[in-house]
Amino acid sequence: MFSFRPLSPGARSRIKAARALFIRHGAESTPEGRSLLLLRKWLSPAQREQFARRGYFEVVGSESGKRYRIHVGASVNVCEIDERGRPREGLCFMPIGALPIGDVMLAQKISLETCEGKVRAVARRFTPNGFYFRQARPLG
Amino acid sequence: MAIQIVMDRTGDSRHSFNPHDVQELAKAERRFHELTNAGFTAAVRTGHGEISQIRSFDPAAEETLFFPRLVGG
Repeated sequence: MFSFRPLSPGARSRIKAARALFIRHGAESTPEGRSLLLLRKWLSPAQREQFARRGYFEVVGSESGKRYRIHVGASVNVCEIDERGRPREGLCFMPIGALPIGDVMLAQKISLETCEGKVRAVARRFTPNGFYFRQARPLG
Repeated sequence: MAIQIVMDRTGDSRHSFNPHDVQELAKAERRFHELTNAGFTAAVRTGHGEISQIRSFDPAAEETLFFPRLVGG
């Protein structure tokens, strides 16, 4: 009754383009989507790839050279990591106001990369564990 | 056209201006000072993902991002 004919390469690419357009439109129509687009635009190429693959990205502190990992989230989502990539100390800080997740993560990245000392002065410390950094799916 | 991007609860607000137009440039500079005086941090991209904070208005910056003051959680 029904037969499935294989799509031509042209049709396949049109469908792919339409799908990408729908996804992009959906992303731009919500605060979270807009903030994630902005975040991706301001990440370095290496951070963008890491975020897409692993759901977090790493930054280097401007003063100490320490490495920090920023996970998806608006609080308790940043930790200092050691040379083997293991969490050492959690830092909880965020910009004031109810900003969407991508904006919070971008503000955290810029702050650590440009004024690490100020961040460490205001951040609340916590002991990092798997509970804080569970990742459902990469958003990058 | 240059742009000032201000983070807010909608994601961001964008203010475009022509850096060659004296009036628009003055308005952008006024906005820069209003935001930084209110505690916002201004940042620009300088290279391949490199970012720097700016403390005075840069008329040559194509894109300036503002985010609110940081607090501990």
